[in-house]
Amino acid sequence: MTSKSISVLRKIAGPFYVNRRLLGYYWERLQKNKLSIAGLGFILFLAIVGIFGPLFTQDPTKADLEVPNMPPPGFTRQESIYNIKTNDFTNRTIEGGLTHPLGTDSKGRDMLAMLVSGARISLFVGLLATGIAVFLGTFIGVLSAYLGGWVDNALMRFTDIMMTFPFFLLLVLIVFIFGSSLAIIVLVIGLTGWTGAARLIRSEALSLRTRDFITASKALGASDTRIMFNHLIPNVISLVIVMASLSIPGVIMAEAALSFIGLGDPTSTSWGTILNAGQHSLETAWWVAVEPGIMLFLTVLAFNFFGDGLRDAFDPKASI
Amino acid sequence: MRNYIIKRLFYSVIIAWGILTVTFVLLRIGPTSPVDRYILNIAAKGQNVESVKQAIEARYGLDKPLIEQYFTYLGNLLQGNWGWSFSTSMPVLELIGSHWIYSFQLILLATIFAIVLGISIGMLSAVKQNTKFDYAASIFSFIGISIPGFWLGLMLILVFAVQLGIFKTYYDTNYPIWSLENLKQLILPVMALGIGELAGYVRYTRSAMLDNLRKEFVTTARAKGLSERTVIGKHVFRNAILPLVTIIMFDLGSIVFGGAYLTEIVFGIPGLGQVSFNAIFANDYAVVVAITLIGTFLVLLLNLGTDVVYTYLDPRIRYD
Amino acid sequence: MNSEALLEVKNLKTWFFTRRGIVKAVNGVDFALRRGECLCLVGESGCGKSVTALSLLRLFDSPPGKIVEGEIIYQGIDLARCPIGHLRQIRGKDIAMVFQNAQSALNPIFTIGDQIIEQINTHLDLNREQALEKARMLLDKMRIPEVDRALTQYPHQMSGGMKQRAMIAMSLSCDPCILIADEPTTAVDVTIRAQIMNILQELKRNRDMSIIFITHDLSLVREIGDRAAVIYGGRIVEIAPVERILNKPAHPYTRGLISCLPDVSSESKRLPSIEGNTPNPMDMPSGCPFHPRCNRVMDVCRSVLPELMNILDVHAVACHLHPNLGK
Repeated sequence: MTSKSISVLRKIAGPFYVNRRLLGYYWERLQKNKLSIAGLGFILFLAIVGIFGPLFTQDPTKADLEVPNMPPPGFTRQESIYNIKTNDFTNRTIEGGLTHPLGTDSKGRDMLAMLVSGARISLFVGLLATGIAVFLGTFIGVLSAYLGGWVDNALMRFTDIMMTFPFFLLLVLIVFIFGSSLAIIVLVIGLTGWTGAARLIRSEALSLRTRDFITASKALGASDTRIMFNHLIPNVISLVIVMASLSIPGVIMAEAALSFIGLGDPTSTSWGTILNAGQHSLETAWWVAVEPGIMLFLTVLAFNFFGDGLRDAFDPKASI
Repeated sequence: MRNYIIKRLFYSVIIAWGILTVTFVLLRIGPTSPVDRYILNIAAKGQNVESVKQAIEARYGLDKPLIEQYFTYLGNLLQGNWGWSFSTSMPVLELIGSHWIYSFQLILLATIFAIVLGISIGMLSAVKQNTKFDYAASIFSFIGISIPGFWLGLMLILVFAVQLGIFKTYYDTNYPIWSLENLKQLILPVMALGIGELAGYVRYTRSAMLDNLRKEFVTTARAKGLSERTVIGKHVFRNAILPLVTIIMFDLGSIVFGGAYLTEIVFGIPGLGQVSFNAIFANDYAVVVAITLIGTFLVLLLNLGTDVVYTYLDPRIRYD
Repeated sequence: MNSEALLEVKNLKTWFFTRRGIVKAVNGVDFALRRGECLCLVGESGCGKSVTALSLLRLFDSPPGKIVEGEIIYQGIDLARCPIGHLRQIRGKDIAMVFQNAQSALNPIFTIGDQIIEQINTHLDLNREQALEKARMLLDKMRIPEVDRALTQYPHQMSGGMKQRAMIAMSLSCDPCILIADEPTTAVDVTIRAQIMNILQELKRNRDMSIIFITHDLSLVREIGDRAAVIYGGRIVEIAPVERILNKPAHPYTRGLISCLPDVSSESKRLPSIEGNTPNPMDMPSGCPFHPRCNRVMDVCRSVLPELMNILDVHAVACHLHPNLGK
């Protein structure tokens, strides 16, 4: 990273970088929202599991046809086996065991290992794609608001068109045509998902632009870029953070949905991929569809709680 | 107003055209050809694959330069010819004609379900702020917006169809559309598709009602001697509903292109989502482009409709 | 106290039970409103005059607000306790209210006509045509030009003064016998203020209507008031006919307020002001709430709350400087 981009980053993170007291104040406000802290706790837990978990679990891709559809410990499954010699069916009860604490899927893969791998994928896609989207959105929004005129007009018309575009269909199309890899999924979501952020930040920046302190720094002879980076962006940063935390769930769900319909990255195991398999074994092995869904649900819930809490913490008008 | 509508319609046509172009180009530069499925059959019969493929492609003009194909397609479209579906061997229009009703009924019922219940629960929640009902509604709405619709669909099938046996696990097209059986088998899909939206509407309605309950005109209305029913049901509600109209319309777009698509796949409903999904995998570009185009245009018209309705709901808004 | 009293308020206490503590916004207000008179409630912002007005019709937010003590007697009924259904028949019909800011007090998405007719239909048994005619007449009386157009206009389409007049028209639509006007001229500019004051004066003369006029502006009191009650810290500290209170104020606070009136003839360069701030309603000073700001404070003021007592038949004051003459 060049020193220039570091200084830009520092300016973007300005209010937090310099002002520890302000950060402390927001943290205090956030802490008052118990659900939000619980959400943050779950996200951190998931991050740790995603980063270090694979070191301790089995290989999520290792099929073991000796133990297909093994239930989690404490549950049982009835299976009928056709015996070719006696020409009749024998019923067998399969019990869960501790070797596979969350059971196995139809190919005998360890559910726990797959869920841990899925956590990694979900967070990776969620954070990275949202990062790209929000960065683009902030940039376009601030640019549009600050430059105004035909630039603003053109950018906002473009945003309108992007917003109308059936996003999920586009995702399916592109992934189908260019092949599914995590990189493409992240890029497509990131490059199409900025529209909401751009609009919101544009309107926020527009209202900021007319405030007195911007006029004051203009009067002092500050350049456009200086005003943009020193005044506009630091002032919309809290909005950006809230936007990001609230759009991560949507991204995670989009990736899961894509994998669910069979267009996930075939080289990695995500929650959506497991759900895709689980869909076809609802009758024999319910846990394959239930477990990744619960993880997905909890993750989205955690981000929603956390984002909500953040929004209230940043909102000076909200009483906490 | 009329000028505004004409302008917007013109604008919608431009956007729809843009989306058509992108979809068309994406599909035609893809690695597979619409005639691949024919070729497979021919290869099985031991004929010369390449020559037959060339013959078919020439017959349908698929060997021409992309730009020429594009203008041929556009020209046909303007004359009302929506093209030929290679994967189902029927005209695209006929294919759409026999499948649209399945999507339509699902989307319509889910939207009504979400709007009616969402607004009612949200209103009650605001009026009974900080009661047990309010808390329960809040928890429910948080869960509702966090639960992925397609997974909810799977779980509904697991519980109500597989375990309890109340419903069939798959959508049965043998029932006529206007039959009770059909309505019954739509219950689970409608819930899977609608609960996320419903939960969102509960939250929006609640917060909009609370915002407006604090307004001064509420005191005026009470000072006039109006009953609480009129104060809340008329004065507060009519103001609170305004932003909701936009949100509902915006959601409809995401339902049409995201939720309904997945719900149809989960429940095996042969609607346009399912059809275009299959068409993407068969590279049946005419079908995909047509369905995308219709969907986009519908969403654009709905947006325009919303804006027009809005001028009646909110007299402060005027488009010139 | 007075046989002519139309509305009698006795020891009214409206408190707000908030998370941070109890706000004693109105803390023992007594007054009687006579038929046909204009009683002014005067005080700085935050003194409790608006809450007093809202309390008369129980229009404050509840929760957190609550009338914890006192009576509001109107036609033999205690409005502070009567069932809400009964109160609703009085709201807008017998006692009507005009608010400070017509911009936010009118519902933005209904036409002026709809809003007036809604009130008429709530209380009077008129058909659509009669109600419309009545609304037209009311707006005409308020000297609103192009009445028919005004009826179909939305609040945002009208100027500030028109909105305020339309709101007065609405409040008069059921011929109330008491009109509560809560700073009706604060949010409008000077020319419109004059128009509105004219309208109110006319109402007083022609309709034989009682008006409770709430203001912080003593010059308006002089213009319209018959009697004035000065409110401080949620209590009435002085009440007397306007002439009397302006010329012979008895309470140091009232004197302070009057000396703050800009005097064009005066040579002094600085406008006088009362030192200090209005008391925190969550933490009232002991004794007389005014004592920290009072320039004639005595020991007794710090510990004993002075009662409102008559120093003349028509003049009552709550101050230790005035030994009780009435006993």
